[in-house]
Amino acid sequence: MVPFILRTLWKKTWTLVLISVVSFAVIHLAPGQPSQIDPLNPRFTKQQLERYRAAFDLDRPLWVQYGLFYQKLFTGQLRSFKDNQPVLPKIGERTWNSLPLFAVETILVWCYAFPLGIAAAIRRNSLFDRLTTVLVFALISIPGFYVSYLAVIWVVEVFQVDVLGMRTFGSEGAGPWRAVMDRTWHLVLPSVLGATAGVAVLSRYVRSQMLEVLDSDYVRTARAKGLEEDSVLYRHALRNGLLPFVTMLGLLIPALVGGSVIFETIFAWPGIGRLGYEAILNRDYPVVIAINFLAAGLTLVGTLLSDLLYMIVDPRIRL
Amino acid sequence: MSAGPGATRPSPGGAAAPAPAAGETATLGPARSPGRLAWHAFWRNRTAVAGMVAVALFFLGALAGLVLTKGAHPLLDPREIRLPDRLKPPLAPPNREAVAVEHRPRLGRYVLGTDELGRDVFARMLEGGFVSLSVGFVAVGIAVALGIVIGGVAGHYGRVRVGVGPMALTVDTLVTGLIDVMLSFPTFFLILTVVAVLKPSIWNIMIVIGLTSWEGTARFVRAEILSLREQDFVQAAQVVGASGRRLIMRHLVPNALGPVLVSTTLGVAGAILTESSLSFLGFGVPPPAATWGNILADGKRYIFDAPWLTLIPGTMILLVVLAFNLFGEGLREAFNPRLREG
Repeated sequence: MVPFILRTLWKKTWTLVLISVVSFAVIHLAPGQPSQIDPLNPRFTKQQLERYRAAFDLDRPLWVQYGLFYQKLFTGQLRSFKDNQPVLPKIGERTWNSLPLFAVETILVWCYAFPLGIAAAIRRNSLFDRLTTVLVFALISIPGFYVSYLAVIWVVEVFQVDVLGMRTFGSEGAGPWRAVMDRTWHLVLPSVLGATAGVAVLSRYVRSQMLEVLDSDYVRTARAKGLEEDSVLYRHALRNGLLPFVTMLGLLIPALVGGSVIFETIFAWPGIGRLGYEAILNRDYPVVIAINFLAAGLTLVGTLLSDLLYMIVDPRIRL
Repeated sequence: MSAGPGATRPSPGGAAAPAPAAGETATLGPARSPGRLAWHAFWRNRTAVAGMVAVALFFLGALAGLVLTKGAHPLLDPREIRLPDRLKPPLAPPNREAVAVEHRPRLGRYVLGTDELGRDVFARMLEGGFVSLSVGFVAVGIAVALGIVIGGVAGHYGRVRVGVGPMALTVDTLVTGLIDVMLSFPTFFLILTVVAVLKPSIWNIMIVIGLTSWEGTARFVRAEILSLREQDFVQAAQVVGASGRRLIMRHLVPNALGPVLVSTTLGVAGAILTESSLSFLGFGVPPPAATWGNILADGKRYIFDAPWLTLIPGTMILLVVLAFNLFGEGLREAFNPRLREG
């Protein structure tokens, strides 16, 4: 087990190095220079441009820039092009804001996708199965940004309440109870809308995984020796069927950034996805590279954890 | 497929001899080819067939859109600006006093209304249909081609070592490492980053979506080839002296095409959604070209005055993506014997 872990760590380290190169190269290999953040601004004189280029190391060769960038990122000295604030606290604060949204969304997805997928697999080819299949694909195919936009307008028009942002504007002086309720209400719409596609996708995986397990020899054996159907389904089939989903825990992390760009932008939620979107709009490259790198790095950690978790729950993997 | 030479040759002697011979050759081969079995399974799945029909209709509509809206004097002009006829609802007639005859819509009415510049939404939807279709297919074409080549190389030449001495790595390690790297990035954010850095153009969007979505296909092809190359027909081809390229392209890849077809179909759906999301955020195909995504994005400012400007493209995106998804899922079930029975 120890050599396996060491080997995995060694491999992941190299993957992380490659990720750092790709995150950096995506910005710098594109035509145009990062220093042209505001080429139309008349106040940006040539001298200022030079000073600016020197301040952000843009006058150095690319590979030196690469080294300096990650050195500054890890020592916390990296600063944003836009407001010259340190990048890491900025990202940290926004990630913290995204966490409740991400957590509620994930809980919703897992709580709805599993019952739906399992029920569809057990009643295979029934009317229920076919209806959920069409429903699930309709949910996957909905342009989520459009439905969210409609939902915001509808809720505001009909209920006359605030839905954008994390809290109602001007509610700072309210009591703690009101503040909590206000925050909870603001979570409802973005998390429900953000979770719909997730429920649909995951329930399909659960369904096909359960079908595969229900088709296996040990389930047939369990039935043949006369066990009750409930016992066959929940003790024999379900436990084995759930195993691969342990690995999905690691793949949740990119959704924290990538999946939230659209929903956080529409709902004006000051989270990490919206920070990324704003940074892209402002051509704030240090923030963009850092978010790409940190998201990919976190995913790597997530997959490492789920590999280890998988090894713990499934004795067959332990080599 | 052919019945063999014996069947076409006229029987010279006894009339009884050829007929049973033809029957024997028929029973010797497989009763039904795997392709035919898959087709039967697919045909029984009504939702999948409905999806296929909808996809076919979308194709026809998009091709009609190309023919009707392209050229200097198209039959239906999506770029004709008529300021007196701004934000007309669907089926509204043109303003006969303010709009000259040659600028009026060919169909006599604005079938799907007009937008904030008085452009005919029906013509724009037709033009956008072809753009959406080509974004979907070019992006997925790039992704699938890359996936097949990279997955094929990893599967077939996986054990070859590159590099020198202790730094030598197998091709398989390199490719799976690259796939790991690409899978780690939050895809939509990466696409957004690259599209924002590059000049906004329809080709850049296709290329970027293609370059960031080949990993699934590459994994499928690699896994499929790893299992196929242990089979007898591949070893037979190797013994006869087939070259590596021939082995991959003629023997391995065609047999791995089932899952690839599935991921292509689902990929087109994903690419159309991605393009419309990019347009919605303001990074999509630049005007004056119309895509369903940017008709929707431009129309959202007029959602109270002209709800049809968002409702029409929104519904069409939903329907087309749904059709591709149902079609792809039907193909997946048909190609996978385990999902097929029952």
